[in-house]
Amino acid sequence: MRLNINKQRSLWWGVSLVVILAGLVAMGISWQRYGAPLRPSLDFVGGTRLQLQRDCSKPENCAKPIDINAVRQVMTERGLGNSSIQLVTDERGQQGISIRTNTLDVEERTQLQQALTKEIGTFDPKATQIDTVGPLIGQQLLSSGLIALLVSFAGIIIYLSLRFQLDYAIFAIVALFHDVLITTGIFGILGLVQGTEVDSLFIVALLTITGFSVNDTVVIYDRIRETLKVSPDLPIDQVVDNAVNQTLGRSINTTLTVLLTLLTLFIFGGETLKNFALALMIGFGAGAYSSIFIASTLLSLWRERTGGQSQNSDQLSVESE
Amino acid sequence: MQKQRSLLALIVVLVIAAIVTIVKFPVALGLDLQGGTQLTIQVQPSEEIKKITERELEAVQTVVENRVNGLGVSEPVIQTVGQDQILVQLPGVNDPEQAERVLGGTAQLDFRRENAETRAFVNNRQQQIQSLIAEQQKLQSAKERDEKAIAANNAQIEAKIKEITELETKLFERTGLTGKNLKYAQATPTQGSSWSVALEFDAKGGELFAQLTKDLAGTGRRLGIFLDDKPISTPVVGQEFAKTGITGGRAEITGTFDLESANELALQLRGGALPVPVKIEEIRTVGATLGRDSIQRSIYAGVAGLSLVLIFMVVYYRLPGLIADISLVIYALLTWATFALLGVTLTLPGIAGFILSIGMAVDANVLIFERTREELRAGKSLYRSVESGFYRAFSSILDSNVTTWIACAALFWLGSGLVKGFALTLALGVAMSMFTAITCSRTFLMLAIAIPNLRKPELYCPSLPASNKAQGAT
Repeated sequence: MRLNINKQRSLWWGVSLVVILAGLVAMGISWQRYGAPLRPSLDFVGGTRLQLQRDCSKPENCAKPIDINAVRQVMTERGLGNSSIQLVTDERGQQGISIRTNTLDVEERTQLQQALTKEIGTFDPKATQIDTVGPLIGQQLLSSGLIALLVSFAGIIIYLSLRFQLDYAIFAIVALFHDVLITTGIFGILGLVQGTEVDSLFIVALLTITGFSVNDTVVIYDRIRETLKVSPDLPIDQVVDNAVNQTLGRSINTTLTVLLTLLTLFIFGGETLKNFALALMIGFGAGAYSSIFIASTLLSLWRERTGGQSQNSDQLSVESE
Repeated sequence: MQKQRSLLALIVVLVIAAIVTIVKFPVALGLDLQGGTQLTIQVQPSEEIKKITERELEAVQTVVENRVNGLGVSEPVIQTVGQDQILVQLPGVNDPEQAERVLGGTAQLDFRRENAETRAFVNNRQQQIQSLIAEQQKLQSAKERDEKAIAANNAQIEAKIKEITELETKLFERTGLTGKNLKYAQATPTQGSSWSVALEFDAKGGELFAQLTKDLAGTGRRLGIFLDDKPISTPVVGQEFAKTGITGGRAEITGTFDLESANELALQLRGGALPVPVKIEEIRTVGATLGRDSIQRSIYAGVAGLSLVLIFMVVYYRLPGLIADISLVIYALLTWATFALLGVTLTLPGIAGFILSIGMAVDANVLIFERTREELRAGKSLYRSVESGFYRAFSSILDSNVTTWIACAALFWLGSGLVKGFALTLALGVAMSMFTAITCSRTFLMLAIAIPNLRKPELYCPSLPASNKAQGAT
């Protein structure tokens, strides 16, 4: 199998553009609906989330199933009728509830828990998860996350322009933007379709994607540089085509091994890690695609236009044998 | 060969050391895995202190530490975050609500004296209200109800009540005796089922208290005990103390305490007052059972992920794949031992970072083996192919790892607790993977080539052209 990378570049770019546009549309819609491009979780907007599970070791405590209407009643009585309430059944078949509401202070929360205990039974404190996040934390998280993203972009540009050249670095960053856009876009769609929320781990996922997705790009660049050194007279689009095809197995396999571990995290990781693993899978997948089809084709188009082959004097290259 | 032997010895020693480390020093688990409560306390500027400096933050931290120690939680973590936040981690805390109440209050205790003139004025107003209420009752029970008069009377009552509430804050004047003058505070039972908080003053506090009680004794004016500007108890000092005041430097706050609230107040007072108000900005409580479930799940995910990668490598890369697998297991052992040695606290995202790094760790091997295959196909001998596979893949490996480190560094410096754990485990994992890929895989592969039976190119690269096979074997 040999891929005609440069000949069919409009096809590769088209595929990416369609996915990115779909994502942007979804983000636009959710901006109107939720006031944010992605459905923000508690981490960003603040609030209180109670995850309570009944203590079934107590006799009679779990005899009746939890009546969600009774729970809603309790919430409405306390003026918290707009909370979202979910019944949760874990793998042991024990029933619990998950409530997300506005920020409650310690008194309000204690009272609410007492009222719920009266209504549906004693909860097991060892199986309880309570998160209360103030509005300040969310802003902090968002701003430090964005700064971290920008810092790592800048760091990668600097490093790659030292190791390769500035234009290599810039196209690698374009590919990274592509990966980040596709991941956020798909989460925008998922937010609309099945209410997937993004939490602080999503920002971690985006940063990890920037760190890892550039790997495949580096491998291809490395090969382009090596080929240009051996045969500097070859037309650039052929050099790029060869480089991509020669490293294709590497690009696919390095991504595949990581996707395998992410898949197990997605399956076994539980609620917290599920979306994290999903975001990484999408991002790494997009990363492999953009390395093969976007960064390389952009580089050859740019060098074709500027005729920049003469400047291929490499600063640092590992000499072989 | 000599070099390979000594490297092999080094690897064996490292692996044994790693296993010993893993057995001897268990890795510390984060709150999300062992269960517990994490609070982020936001320090807020007050009217007197407009800007939070390092000094205020340190003062608050000391007080928070005192109070946490009073809670009796083992191995708490208290650290400052940024310019105006304090992070408190309480592993295995039984009553997170209590912790929240104790840590959230400023606990500024203040003994105040009732002002005679204001008192008289308020008394006067209260009498007027009494008579107005009596008037009101008369009006309402009259046969012909005069609605207008009732309304007018009511308005008068409300105005007077408002006047009193406004005066209430001026009713008591500060005396200079505050929580700073306390030596000790303790919850003690009083008659019946109620509780009180017993106080012990320091020398200066004892004097001030004696003076204060001497002034008030027998006058009918009250002593106001204020907590965070709210009166919690307003006792009257008896006539018998008019001569000397209450001496001995002891006092007792009675009020509407039960055992729990008396204990909490005593704890706050012992820990000292916060110089500035605080707000608990974030609380996350995870039950111990949930933490155990997370660990269980992570083990499943880790074992399954590792197995899938091991199988993939053997199936796709054959003998080198097997060698990569051995390196990968060594990688996992060494990385885990490093976590234990460096005292990395493992959180759920941290475990995810570790599992993810297993998938990334073989990447270096993939790059090397692909390069080796390429060289074999180009007709080089097996030994030279392996050598140049390692040699030529190195720059790709280094470049791709450095970019991952850059992202990890950004995460580590700018992220919060959980995020930091992930960044650290991932960065350590990537560093360790370079070592194992280059040292372990290489040593093992060189040793394998030394064994004649394993010196067949098809073990390294399937479907090699026949002409290359013969050449490769030489």
